[in-house]
Amino acid sequence: MISPVLECRRIGKRFGGVAALCDVDFDLRPGEIHALCGENGAGKSTLIKILGGIHPHGTYDGEVIIDGKPAAIRSVADTKAAGIAVIYQELALVDEMTVAENLFLGKEPVRGGLIDWPAVFDGARRVLQQFAIDLDPRAPVRELGIGKRQLVEVAKALAANSRILILDEPTAALSEHEVRALLQILRNLRSRGVSCLYISHRLEEIFSIADRLTVLRDGRNVATFDAAEATVPMVIRHMVGREIGELFPRHTPKHGAPLLRVLDLEVAPPEDSHVRLADIQFDVHEGEVLGIGGLMGAGRTELLMHLFGAWGRRVRGTVSVAEQILDAKANPRQSLRAGLVLVSEDRKRFGLVTDKTVGFNLSLSSLRQLDSMGLIDSTREHRRNSEMFRSLAIKASGLEAKVGDLSGGNQQKVVLGKALLTQPRVILLDEPTRGIDIGAKVELYGLMNRLTAAGCGIVLVSSELEELMSMSDRILMLHNGRIGGTFARGEATQEQLLAAAMGRSTVTTGRASEHQETV
Amino acid sequence: MTPTPLINAAPAENAGAGEYSPAPLAETTRGIGLRDFSMLIALLLIWGFFGTVAPTFLSARNLSNLAVELSITAVLSLGMLLIIVCGQIDLSIGSGVGLFGGLTAVLMFRHDWPAPAAMAVSLVAAVLVWAAMGALIIRQRIPSFIVTLAGLLVFKGLHWKVISNATIPLTVGSAQNAMSRLTTWFLPKPLAFVLAGLVIVGLTLAALAGRRQRKAFQFPLEPREILFSRLFVTAQLLLLFVLVCNQYRGVPLSVMLLGATALIIGVLLKHTRFGRYLYAVGGNREAALISGIDVSRVVIGAFAIMGALVAVGGFLQTAYAGASTTTIGQLMELDAIAACVIGGASLSGGRGTVTGVLFGSLIMASLLNGLTLMAVSPEVKFIARGVVLALAVWMDVRLNKRAAD
Repeated sequence: MISPVLECRRIGKRFGGVAALCDVDFDLRPGEIHALCGENGAGKSTLIKILGGIHPHGTYDGEVIIDGKPAAIRSVADTKAAGIAVIYQELALVDEMTVAENLFLGKEPVRGGLIDWPAVFDGARRVLQQFAIDLDPRAPVRELGIGKRQLVEVAKALAANSRILILDEPTAALSEHEVRALLQILRNLRSRGVSCLYISHRLEEIFSIADRLTVLRDGRNVATFDAAEATVPMVIRHMVGREIGELFPRHTPKHGAPLLRVLDLEVAPPEDSHVRLADIQFDVHEGEVLGIGGLMGAGRTELLMHLFGAWGRRVRGTVSVAEQILDAKANPRQSLRAGLVLVSEDRKRFGLVTDKTVGFNLSLSSLRQLDSMGLIDSTREHRRNSEMFRSLAIKASGLEAKVGDLSGGNQQKVVLGKALLTQPRVILLDEPTRGIDIGAKVELYGLMNRLTAAGCGIVLVSSELEELMSMSDRILMLHNGRIGGTFARGEATQEQLLAAAMGRSTVTTGRASEHQETV
Repeated sequence: MTPTPLINAAPAENAGAGEYSPAPLAETTRGIGLRDFSMLIALLLIWGFFGTVAPTFLSARNLSNLAVELSITAVLSLGMLLIIVCGQIDLSIGSGVGLFGGLTAVLMFRHDWPAPAAMAVSLVAAVLVWAAMGALIIRQRIPSFIVTLAGLLVFKGLHWKVISNATIPLTVGSAQNAMSRLTTWFLPKPLAFVLAGLVIVGLTLAALAGRRQRKAFQFPLEPREILFSRLFVTAQLLLLFVLVCNQYRGVPLSVMLLGATALIIGVLLKHTRFGRYLYAVGGNREAALISGIDVSRVVIGAFAIMGALVAVGGFLQTAYAGASTTTIGQLMELDAIAACVIGGASLSGGRGTVTGVLFGSLIMASLLNGLTLMAVSPEVKFIARGVVLALAVWMDVRLNKRAAD
């Protein structure tokens, strides 16, 4: 038996009262690619952050053992010194520097007090050649695509003589071609004895590259398989694990006429011809909750932002609200007037003016309705704001409390209140329960029931399958900017939804059939 | 369809949401923050210092001059407040003051236009030019720092060209006109008292109405004593001001102009959609956009108003100097920015009040006036202005940090 290069023994980590990791055992062998799978919130990121020195030794339970010796990783520098390189989803490159400069950033060879540039470029070329990475050391990182940048990060780790690579969803934003290139390089590294911990949602990738895989669920290691012996359904079953409780019952009212109609939509990013969303087509009726799921990078947020007129360039297709066609170049103001409203997933960035009061934020989108001879009717404003404040049960000292001082759940309620005060027909909710506690979640589900009972249509984007399945009347899974499958309420299992999100139909397993269910 | 009936009654725990006290009271008691105190102390120190070293500083004649100088600085600073609140900056207003003052003077002196027509043309031109700068900033995404820096140079060049590097007087002989009267006409002395009385009554009624509304909203109220003592002190100062001015020639017309400007900007910021949107755009531009605000229109609007006030500032400053010369308006943009920052506006946008800016302007104007009286050399004046500007921004950073902690 080969002794592992990295071993975790009974790792546990708590955030307040919540256990993010519990008794996780795990080992990484030399020259092995080991995949880590699990749903969002299963504890993958926490584990990486422990190994990466972001959660330092002493803040977690259990032991990390490197080369047979217990290692106390207290900082990012300790991780590097131990020969571990972590490549996070947000790449840490300096855009304005060349590839070579990035590779040697912070450890530039020096001669006579000055940077030895020939050594920098020669060293970079040597590393790139050695591992057959196709990059020009003199290219500025700014000019590289996301796939190449990922390779720069890998090369940077290799230039630092790392023996263990940890990659967090490295392919989430890559094209198929770039994914193949990255996987090939990882195979090369494996043959040279570099070990790799590979985190990904994409099971096909995992099966094509990993030697072993470990499934985390609710912070526990539920299974470690040899890749040769595992199957996709087996892994999905372990990832999902439990049956869905009817914790948050959806009261489905009778659906009325179609409110939001999306026809044959194709959207490209603002300054890019590469299509991001294609063949998107769906209706949302009065009283209906349409759930939209999909993996990270599937295009869910982009879809909502585009419908609201806040992102992307329409290549073709139409969007209409209550029979009224929305201009392809509509801006959020026009969308609001048409009866559409967006509650963004990033409430700090797109939702709130955190420096201002609750009242200021609540009425911000609906001031037009408060007009009284050019001035704001502050009595009416206050009445409407305080009604909303009370009905959403916002916990704050009052309308004059600064929004930035509120908890996440209450900030979310303020954003929702602002949206509801515009008296919308269709509400686009992007991850409305992210980062809010269970109590606030239940309140939100209740509110969704009341809104649909009154005839609103809701589009709910969520990463939590459980939430999607319990709150949606219909579920649409996005895969890579396209519809990977649509399911009526109660029709699909979590396994089927995950499969659709990964671009695999459960009926047939080939990728070619991915559109058939929607046509 | 309104959303309110959709939602159940409030849970019991939140029923008395309006009664939270006394912690929020301290935060919401308006008008007496640390900042206001530090401003007041700075002002007293400045006045005390100049009063000692240059006894004429506190003479009726000089205070009357100071009132005119304050009006000019404050009118420009109030415009700058709008620009800063929506997260922009304007470096070109000093050159603009020179240009539009000069243009008006040339139209009157060289082309014999009547003063009102010349002023109207300049005002419209300034509004258009500033709106164009706003459009350039917001639609072409050129930082306002750059656009207005270019404006600074271009307007200065145009100013010198328009007046042909000469001195263009506003009046022929001693014949007064609408423009020169801006700084030479004084309110008849009894009328000044009547007007001051009306202002005091107006302020009191407004304060009481505001208090009544806050009470109706169940917002925390400041103690009645503080409200009344603040009103009392304001009234005393106003009467004192009229008394002092009347000892010389009376209350200058420019002060009336400042009062009107402050009232308009104050109402605009507090009670209109445009004002709310300015704060929202400066506080979080992306959130403003998603909230359905037409960010371009708001920023262009702010610049258009700035343009109008630049023209007014140009009329006042040129009239005060008696003629348009190449140095009119020089560095006034920096005084305006300093006044805003001293008055509590945040250079990163989203924060600032009219009262604060009026205070800040008074500090800046007093400083310049006092230094001139002391007959210090221009180089020392530059250094003093620079130090005050740096101090003001340092204070801004410090107090913002403390507020964030």
